Amino acid sequence: MLKMTNISKVFRTELVETHALSDFTLNVEEGEFVTITGPSGCGKTTFLNIAGLLETYTSGSYLLDNVDVTELGDFQRARLRNEKIGFIFQSFNLMPDLNLFDNVDVPLRYRGMKASERRPRVEKALESVGLLGRKKHLPAQLSGGQQQRVAIARALVGEPRFLLADEPTGNLDSNTAQGVMELLNEINAQGTTIIMVTHDQELAQQSPRNIHILDGRIAQESGKRTPVTPAETAAAVA
Amino acid sequence: MEIGPIVRALLRNKLGAVLIAAQIAFTMTVIINAVFIINERSRLMARPSGLDEANIFHVVNIGYGENYREDIVIEDDLAMLRQMPGVRSASSINAIPVSGGGSSTGIRATDDPDTASTPTAIYRADEQIFETLGLNLIAGEYFRAADMRIRSEPGETLADKAVVSAALAEELFPDLSVNEVVGRTAWLPGVVPIQIVGVVERLQAAWPNASFVENSIVVPELYIDTFTRYIVRAEPGRRDSLMAEVEEMLASRPVDRVIRDMESLEQTRESSYRIDSAMSTILSIVIVTLIFINSMGIVGLAVFSINRRRKQIGTRRALGATRPAILRYFMLENFFITSIGVVIGAVLTIALSIVLTTNFNMPTMAWYYTPIGAVLLVLIGQLAALGPSTRAAAIEPAIATRSV
Repeated sequence: MLKMTNISKVFRTELVETHALSDFTLNVEEGEFVTITGPSGCGKTTFLNIAGLLETYTSGSYLLDNVDVTELGDFQRARLRNEKIGFIFQSFNLMPDLNLFDNVDVPLRYRGMKASERRPRVEKALESVGLLGRKKHLPAQLSGGQQQRVAIARALVGEPRFLLADEPTGNLDSNTAQGVMELLNEINAQGTTIIMVTHDQELAQQSPRNIHILDGRIAQESGKRTPVTPAETAAAVA
Repeated sequence: MEIGPIVRALLRNKLGAVLIAAQIAFTMTVIINAVFIINERSRLMARPSGLDEANIFHVVNIGYGENYREDIVIEDDLAMLRQMPGVRSASSINAIPVSGGGSSTGIRATDDPDTASTPTAIYRADEQIFETLGLNLIAGEYFRAADMRIRSEPGETLADKAVVSAALAEELFPDLSVNEVVGRTAWLPGVVPIQIVGVVERLQAAWPNASFVENSIVVPELYIDTFTRYIVRAEPGRRDSLMAEVEEMLASRPVDRVIRDMESLEQTRESSYRIDSAMSTILSIVIVTLIFINSMGIVGLAVFSINRRRKQIGTRRALGATRPAILRYFMLENFFITSIGVVIGAVLTIALSIVLTTNFNMPTMAWYYTPIGAVLLVLIGQLAALGPSTRAAAIEPAIATRSV
């Protein structure tokens, strides 16, 4: 699903050169739930940005769903992000001037889908996070947990192959965070690959696979790869 | 296209958009009416007077003292002027066309004093005036030396023949062709009959902004007075040098008089239209200033709006928006704001035009001014928004994951 080999990312200024990631190699199989931990400035966000095609890397290779993204232009990267990746941000990143329906609708509009196709998908996504009844509300009218659920619905509406979550519970209280984690686990159980960056060690320990980054490298890896095949998913649901 | 969300988002966050739309509406109202006024002024200023303006100049002669014999002086002056090398023709005339000062009268096509008269400028001049002014005769003939009448006291016209401008001929006799007007009699105040012997294509009155500026009548009459205007037509290219020579010649003669106001007809015209010209310049400055302020307002709102939404833009990029999609979003947003301003502006433009037409005797504005102005303002809005929108499109998607 995601295969990074010797990825390096160097930020250069006139005075200083910063190695955000160095020879970073990681394979994530389809259906995995991987947490990424590490201290501030260790390269977690850089990894997430590169994995999500939000920024380019200095060297190495990266295959996303067997597509080599190294030479892709801005248009193709945008297309891949839209079709294969769902993003969940720490601050939810909802559009404050748009109601919940329009917020969840955003990725589908960029996919160029007709309104008649988008509507049922948006409503289904909102229903899956329990907020269909509030689709006309604005984000400011919701609690933090509800806003993050909307963000999850937005991430899921395009039926992406994997979700990238950047501290999705970072701005939530523990009870709400637990609810969001349960939702993510459900999504993962249905076959969606999830990579989640978190500071929360407790959440990381619950994760089947945890990658600990230090100074731009993988310092420690715990857990084992637990790919969920469609057959396994079907068995789990049964 | 994101028309629905853009409109809904604008409606929820409307203060800035409303202010810019109001500014656009105001700008449009002022600009379109100002452009119309400028075009009207330009059209008026560009009207031909019917004269050979490039080669004509005029001068005022004011005699004084007991020994001053105006009849002799005028006759001698004109004879000497006509003999000067480079002078094509010279005459005495009571007023200079398009100069801002002259004589007017009312003329009728019947001898019934109760019928409405047609206003017209009246020029009193000698038989050489047609050559001196460079007029174009289109019917009949000019009056002759034998037709001249001389008088030294003010009063009703003594002349019994006249040449009229085509505009006056048509207004007096709307059912007749200019050839048919020749030979007809018209009546001046006091029921003074005057026979029209010729029609010139064009001869403007002395007042450029008069409603009857194209109505003129020339009668063969000289008013002998201490105050006399000479008008001279030079050979092409000789005007400026002749102006100095004529002044010198007149001043050198042993006559008690003052020679003043030597001026070319081009200078006279420029002076007469100075207010119109100044108005056009001021309005042009107002237009440019308003367009600049308007554009800056649009740029300001766009920059503010984009800076406020940098993270949103990054998020949209993360969710799959291409750079053209972001560019399109902000250009569309600007288009809606400008369009609202333009629609309100169109109503205000027409309203102001009606007020100007009703209260200031201005002609009605042509219908196409408003739509052309609207399209241009939308284009200006799009141009102003292009820079900030391009900058918005360049925002990297990675900004979505930044905490600040």
